[in-house]
Amino acid sequence: MRRMIMHVDMDSYFASVEQQCHPTLRGKPIGVTGRPTERSIVVAASREAKQYSVWTGMPVWEALKACPDLVLVSGNPERYLSVTKRFIEILKAYTALLEVYSVDEVFMDVTQEAPKRGGPVRMAEEIRHRFHDELGEYITATVGIAEGKTFAKLIGARNKPDGIGRLDQEEMPELLESTRVGDVWGIGRRIEARLNRVGIRTLRELGSASEQFLKREFGVYGLHLHEIGQGRDSTPLVPYTDVPPPKSVGHSKSLPPELREFSLALIVLRDLCDKAARRMRRLGYMGRTVHCGFRVGSIGPHHGKQTTLALPADDGEMIYKACLTVLDKIPVKPEKVSNIGVSIGNLVPTEKTLCSLLETDQRRERLNAAVDRIRDRYGDRSIRLGTSLLVRPIPQHVGGFFMASDDLEVG
Amino acid sequence: MLTTVNEPIDAVVIYRRGAPHPLLHAFRWKNRRYDITATHLIHREREGEAVYLVYSVGCQQDTYILRLDIGRGRWTLDALEMGD
Repeated sequence: MRRMIMHVDMDSYFASVEQQCHPTLRGKPIGVTGRPTERSIVVAASREAKQYSVWTGMPVWEALKACPDLVLVSGNPERYLSVTKRFIEILKAYTALLEVYSVDEVFMDVTQEAPKRGGPVRMAEEIRHRFHDELGEYITATVGIAEGKTFAKLIGARNKPDGIGRLDQEEMPELLESTRVGDVWGIGRRIEARLNRVGIRTLRELGSASEQFLKREFGVYGLHLHEIGQGRDSTPLVPYTDVPPPKSVGHSKSLPPELREFSLALIVLRDLCDKAARRMRRLGYMGRTVHCGFRVGSIGPHHGKQTTLALPADDGEMIYKACLTVLDKIPVKPEKVSNIGVSIGNLVPTEKTLCSLLETDQRRERLNAAVDRIRDRYGDRSIRLGTSLLVRPIPQHVGGFFMASDDLEVG
Repeated sequence: MLTTVNEPIDAVVIYRRGAPHPLLHAFRWKNRRYDITATHLIHREREGEAVYLVYSVGCQQDTYILRLDIGRGRWTLDALEMGD
């Protein structure tokens, strides 16, 4: 039996949820932002705003230039997460083989279920009707149907918004001919540029390139590229019931101009270490490799290095101290940075680590456990480091992007 | 434009079989009854220990944002938004 994958992608998600919640915003170009100031960025544009070429990631000042009537709305991540959980509940009624790819995208393997429901298109129509009835008429989704994840996503994107696209294998040659490699999920600008340099611009040209050549150029990923170019995609679906253990846990923050001084960025970094450590504890992991880095200027290069701790850690303070050691090793010493971040890798399950016998370590463990209990009960911002009060202007939740995949907890 | 109210209210609610949330039918505010003509969105929010269901509902042309404190069973009218 041929695999049948469905990609469900919510249309202009955050903006649609706002329009559903506030009818006065319907039919208007709106931009969801972290804070509605000119320094912020648009994290989601409504379909009306997209007609004025307002796109995700565009600075607000630029968006207002493109669309002077743009209505700016502060994002409400809890609202989006709540709606996400509801649409996932709806989708779970159709198949258990469901991969929650992001807050507004889901892959479903409907190979077994679709024939029982009159075929995949009929099933997609039913899902869209349920969204309409149970979520609201403004919260729409586009469904792409194909034999693999990449092609389901691709055909869905061609039928946006509020559509259904099905790709049959007979239509594959035409799709390969008409699709630029850069339009394919997973092929970023750098890989596209490298492919273009060797004369590969379309998927058909990618499929014509030799497997050996692509493997030599891109390693194992080259084999995947070759498969896509041939119109095949065996990328496995990772069901929500079977999420693989995390490889690393990290957080980074783009800093507003008032916090770009290095000394203030370090306070933000301390907060990020605390946040990453809490996430590790929640997931039940400790990590040994600490990577820390920063960016100078909005398009400047990323400077980063890493260090390995003697023992795995899940404590914000220890991770921050490791970050300071790492930052010392970086030769560039800027006065201002635009982005700073930390990532902890080499993770091991906490139950497989040795307990420290040092009283100071045990005290920190007890302190972290107590802080976690308070935050679990009263929210993440109920107890914070005193130093973080010095950097209060930083938006805590920028338009929903604060959410890590483990925040979805759909199991 | 959203106008903040933040006042306790009485509510008439329907617990429909199989529905994920109780449905708001009407509410009383300032001695006037408001009958719900449309439910736009219901979502869950958390503030410390309290869990709320936040309702965006329509009465004729206007939108009302109401909040049910699930633990205490108390309803609050958060805000109202006059229709265009």
